[in-house]
Amino acid sequence: MTFPTRALASAACILALSAGGAAAAEPLKIALVETLSGPQASTGLLYRAAVQYQVGKINEAGGYNGAPVVLEEYDNQGGPVGATDRVRAAIADGAHIIVQGSSSAVAGQITEDVRKHNLRNQGNEILYINLGAEAMELTGEKCHFYHFRVSPNAAIRVGTLVAGMKEAGVLGERVYAMNQNYSWGVDVQEATKAAAATAGYEVVEETLHEVNKIQDFAPYVARIQATNADTVITGNWSNDLLLLMKAASGAGLKARFGTAFLDQPGNIANAGAIAEGHFVSTPFNPEAGGEKSKAFAEDYKKVTGHYPSYVEPATVFGLTLLGQALQQVPAAEDIDVTAIALALEKATIETPIGSFSMRAEDHQGVFPMVVQQVSADATFKVDDTSYGFKPVKVFSAEESAAPVQESCSMQRPS
Amino acid sequence: MKLRPFLILLAVMVLLAIPWLVSSSMLNAAIQMLIAALFAMAFSLLCGQAGMLSFGHAAYFGLGAFATVHAMNAFNGEGLLPTPLLPLAGAAVGLVSGVVAGYFSTKRTGVYFAMITLALAELLHALAPHLKGTFGGEAGISSFRMPAWGFGFGTAIEVYYLTLFWVLLAIGLLYLLMLTPLGRLALGLRENQRRLRFLGYNVHALGTLIFAISAMFSGLAGALQSLNIEAANYAELETHVSTVVLLNSFIGGVRVFLGPAIGAALMTFFGHVTSDVTRVWLLYQGIIFVLVMMFLPRGIVGELVERFSGKRPAGEGIRLSEMLPRLAGIAVAALGGVVLIELLQRVMSRDYRALAAGGQWPEITMMGLSWQPGSPLTWLVPLSALALGLALVLGVNRRAAARREATA
Repeated sequence: MTFPTRALASAACILALSAGGAAAAEPLKIALVETLSGPQASTGLLYRAAVQYQVGKINEAGGYNGAPVVLEEYDNQGGPVGATDRVRAAIADGAHIIVQGSSSAVAGQITEDVRKHNLRNQGNEILYINLGAEAMELTGEKCHFYHFRVSPNAAIRVGTLVAGMKEAGVLGERVYAMNQNYSWGVDVQEATKAAAATAGYEVVEETLHEVNKIQDFAPYVARIQATNADTVITGNWSNDLLLLMKAASGAGLKARFGTAFLDQPGNIANAGAIAEGHFVSTPFNPEAGGEKSKAFAEDYKKVTGHYPSYVEPATVFGLTLLGQALQQVPAAEDIDVTAIALALEKATIETPIGSFSMRAEDHQGVFPMVVQQVSADATFKVDDTSYGFKPVKVFSAEESAAPVQESCSMQRPS
Repeated sequence: MKLRPFLILLAVMVLLAIPWLVSSSMLNAAIQMLIAALFAMAFSLLCGQAGMLSFGHAAYFGLGAFATVHAMNAFNGEGLLPTPLLPLAGAAVGLVSGVVAGYFSTKRTGVYFAMITLALAELLHALAPHLKGTFGGEAGISSFRMPAWGFGFGTAIEVYYLTLFWVLLAIGLLYLLMLTPLGRLALGLRENQRRLRFLGYNVHALGTLIFAISAMFSGLAGALQSLNIEAANYAELETHVSTVVLLNSFIGGVRVFLGPAIGAALMTFFGHVTSDVTRVWLLYQGIIFVLVMMFLPRGIVGELVERFSGKRPAGEGIRLSEMLPRLAGIAVAALGGVVLIELLQRVMSRDYRALAAGGQWPEITMMGLSWQPGSPLTWLVPLSALALGLALVLGVNRRAAARREATA
C-alpha cells in the first residue's frame, strides 16, 4: 500500500467514524491490480491516475453504503503470476471489486482467478472490471458474469475506424491488414475482414509479423506498395506502429493508416509530422462533444496534471458507470457484489459524447467512439507537439457496438 | 556435525507450521517462495554443481507449466493423473525437453553453451505466441484444480502443502543426487572437463544427463506454478524468468547446497513485500544484487557457511566488537539511501509534478514525517546518514585490517 492510498484509507476511516450511525456499514473496497513498476509501468500509471480521479468523484458524491469507497493499489509486477498473487492479496484484504486494464495476459489471468474464486466462494463473490484489456476472448470464450469490460475491443475499433474513414472519403477500396502475430493482431485482422462487406472494401493482403522484434519495416512497406492499397488497418502498438509508419513515410507510401493505439502518450512526439493525416478510433476526444467534453478534460487536468488521453477516458467512464450502478443498490451491512453486478448491467450514464451502458449478454460496454485524425488544426495538442487529434466522426453507442460473440455462454447467478 | 539433522528437522517443522503462523496473503507468498526455491535449486544443479551457466531455463520451467495445464484440462484431476500427481507431467516434459536441448547445448562449453541455451529459449519464446492451440493466446490457457483423494484443493493451505511436499521431495532427491557418483562427476565436469575425458568418461553424455535432470526439476517447478495459479501464459517463457532465477541463485550462493533456494525465497519475499510499498523495488533488487556480487561474491548463504564453518585460522573468527558497528553502519547507510531514493522517486513522479506545476512545491509525507522538497535539510539528512554509515563501515574495516597486519 503506497502512502496516498493509506491516507485515503485513513481518511475513509475518519469519515466513516464521523458519519455516526452509518459507521457500522462496510465500505466498498476497490483494488487496482495494475503494473506499477518495471518497463510496462507507464500505461499502468495512466490507469491509476484515471481510477484515482473517478473514485475521488464517487467519494465527493458521498461514496457508497454511508462510507467513502476505499481504493487500494497492488502492483502486479507486469505478469500473470504476480497478478494472481496480488488478486489473492486483494481478496484477503477484503476487496469487492478488482480493476485492471494494461495487459490482456494479466486480464486473462485475473478474469479466470475471479471466476474460480466465485465458484469456490459462493456468497462472497468479487467483481472484475476490465478497464482496457481488449482481447476478444475476454468477452468471448472467457466471458463470465463477474467480468465487465468498459473499453473497446478489436471489432469495435476496426468497425468504427473503417466506417469513419469511409465517411471522410479516405478509406478507398483496397485495404491492407498489417498486424502483429499474436492473439490481438489476429483479432484485428479478423475484424478487418469481417467489416469488409459493410464498408465496401476488399482486403488485398493480410500480414502477420513478429511482435516488437522488427527494426526495419521496409520490406513490409514494399509489399503494401506492391498491392497498391489505399488504406492500411493495423492494430500495432508501440515500436511496431512507429517503425512501420516511419518506414512508410521513408518509402513515400501514399496509403493512409487506420490504427488502434496511435494515441498512446509519446507516439506523436516520436513520430512527429509522419503521423499527420493518419487515423485512430478511441472512446473519447476532448474536441468532440462540445463544452461538456472540454469541461471534463479541464477538470481532469486540474486533478491529475494532464488531459485525459489513451486509456484514461474509458477508465473514467467505466467507473462512472459503476458509480451509477452503486446508486441503484441499497445500502446494507454486507456489500452484495452480485447485486452490484446486476445493477451494472442495467446502468446507463451520459458521458460528454453520448450514452454509455453495459450489454448484459456478454458484459461488453456499449459506448460512442470517436474516429479522429492527427492534425495540426486540433485544439488539444498532444505530447508538447504542434499536432493533436482532430475528430472526424463520432459514432453513437449503437453504431459503434459489435455483435455479441457466439463463443460467450454466460452462467447467470440463479 | 550433529547440528545439521537437527536444523533440517527444525526447518521442516517450521515449514509445516507456516499456515498457522502467517496471514493468507503471506501464505501465497510462501507458495511462490517454495516454487522459486525449487527452480533455483534446479538451475544451480547445472550452474553451480556442473559449472554450466544457462541463460535459458525459462524454457523448461515454461514447458513444465504448459504441460501441467494441458494435463489438468485433459484428465480433469481424475484417472491416471489426479491433481496431486500432476507435477509429474511437468517433470516428464521438462526431462524430455532437457534431453533434446541438453544434447545440443552441451556440445559446447562456457560462453558458447550459454549462448545456445539462450537461443533455444528465445526460439521457444518467439514461437509460442504463434501456436495458439498449445500456448494459448495473449490471455493464456487456464485450468481448474479439481478435487482428488478427498481434498478439495480449493484453498491456499492445500496448495501450500502440495507444493511443500513436492519441493521437499525434489530438494531431497537433489541432495541424494549430489552424493551419488553422478553428482561427484558433475563437480568434475565443472572443475576439469578435459581431465574427465582423459579418464575415459563420456563428458557429452554426462553433461546432457545433468542438463536433463536440471530441466526436469525446472519443469517440476513450472508445474507447481501452474497448479498454484491454475493457468499458464507464454509470458512465463520470457528471458526475464531466466534472469531472475540466475540472480536469485547467485544472491543465495550458487555453490552451497541450499544457497540458491534460500536466495530465491528471500528475493521472492522481498519482491512480495516491497512491490506494494514502493514503485522502485526493482531498483532496490538491482542494488542488492550488485552489492552482494561486490562484497559477498560467494552469495549470502555461501558467505555465512564460510564464516561459521570454522575453517578459518584462530584469529580470524567473528568479533562482535567489529561486527556490530559494521552492521550498524550498514543499517544507517541503507536508511539514508532508501530515504533519498524514495524522496527522489516521489519528487520525480507524475502525480507530484502535476501538483508542483503551479510553481509550489508541496510537502511530501513519507514514513510518518513530512518533508519539504525545497529545504536543503530534507536532502542533507539522508545524505549525511548515508555518508555517516559508509564512514563507519570503512573505519571499522580499516581498523580490522590494521589489527590483522599487526598480529600477522
